Amino acid sequence: MPPDTLFQLATMAALAGWLLLAVARALPGTWPDRAILLAARAVPAILSVGYTAITLAHWSSSPGGFGSLTDVMALFTAPWLTLAGWVHYLAFDLIVGGWAVAQGRSRGIPWPVMLPVLALTFLFGPAGFIAALALTAVYPERTPA
Amino acid sequence: MTALTLTAAPNRLFSDAPALMRLSVLKALALLPLWAAMALDIRQLDGVSIWLKPVKFHIALVIYLLTLAFFARFVPQTLFRRRTYRAYQAAVLTAIVAELIWIGGAAAAGTTSHFNDTTPAMAILYGLMGLAATLLTSLSLVLGVAILRNPATGLAPALHRAIGWGLTLTLPLTLITAGTMSASSGHFVGTPADPANAIWLLGWSREVGDLRVSHFLATHTLHAVPVAGWLAVRFAPALAGGLVWGAGLAWVALVLGTFAQALLGLPLIR
Repeated sequence: MPPDTLFQLATMAALAGWLLLAVARALPGTWPDRAILLAARAVPAILSVGYTAITLAHWSSSPGGFGSLTDVMALFTAPWLTLAGWVHYLAFDLIVGGWAVAQGRSRGIPWPVMLPVLALTFLFGPAGFIAALALTAVYPERTPA
Repeated sequence: MTALTLTAAPNRLFSDAPALMRLSVLKALALLPLWAAMALDIRQLDGVSIWLKPVKFHIALVIYLLTLAFFARFVPQTLFRRRTYRAYQAAVLTAIVAELIWIGGAAAAGTTSHFNDTTPAMAILYGLMGLAATLLTSLSLVLGVAILRNPATGLAPALHRAIGWGLTLTLPLTLITAGTMSASSGHFVGTPADPANAIWLLGWSREVGDLRVSHFLATHTLHAVPVAGWLAVRFAPALAGGLVWGAGLAWVALVLGTFAQALLGLPLIR
């Protein structure tokens, strides 16, 4: 399969995961937990298997490395390694999103507050992560009654 | 009693006004990436970093929220439990977030937020944000009136009046000054030769009229009048009633005086 097709597949899988996270709170019973498990563990796991496979197959034949900005830019000129980098983003952003949703549930963070933070994580991962982290600072963990 | 009611411990603020405090802490934390962006970004507007305005607005709204959270202890908790009040407060907090996203977003895009009519979308947004600004400032009036009508604040009558009226007057004074400014083409009255020739930190022009002076003072009515009341009750309790009226009128005169000064095209100081 060419890297372009894998890119499309990975992006669709990630989008499905994000949709699931976005609606998780509205689901009945124990379904929110299952939705988070699927979106923020299963999908990232599949993506990570893909990442590992690409890296094993293409790392040695690709230019660049991790040593300097120039090396990393050289790495990202190779389609397969750029695909691996993209899949890495997709997988880890979902894990952060799932963590945020779980924090929201255990701390009682209102859904209208959580949703923009999820959108931020989806688009600009680290910015969403610090936004979610800030929310955990102002919504203390609920102590079991 | 007085010493106890004036504590500003975070726990007290959080228990009196949790939603206001949460947003104020979040917006204070947002200053970290904004300051970092200001350090990284070489783009300028009117001779200063393009990020200075979002930073200033974040600081201003953090102070506003902290102030309201502090005064919330004099508002009957029954008001806060009312469904209509909660919906109203949620709208106010949403307006604050929208205002800050608009100002920060405009900076990120390298453009202006206020007075921006370069595209229809930005012009509409500017109009909407005027409504948002009015809505967010109205919370001080709502809390001010609730404090004035609360017979059980435990405050000396003069201080009670100073806090209630300081909060209540903030909205009309801000509407007059900021409303006039937004109806103009910019915050200057006149064209400064050097927009960067300004009073340190506050950024007001030293060459031409600057409507931001009276807007600033109008918005700080909710600090100035209560502080005057506190000082009066503390140091001249026998005269406190008259002093509070005098201080209130003097502050209104100061706001309107600097407003008139700017309209005449004169700077606050040269």
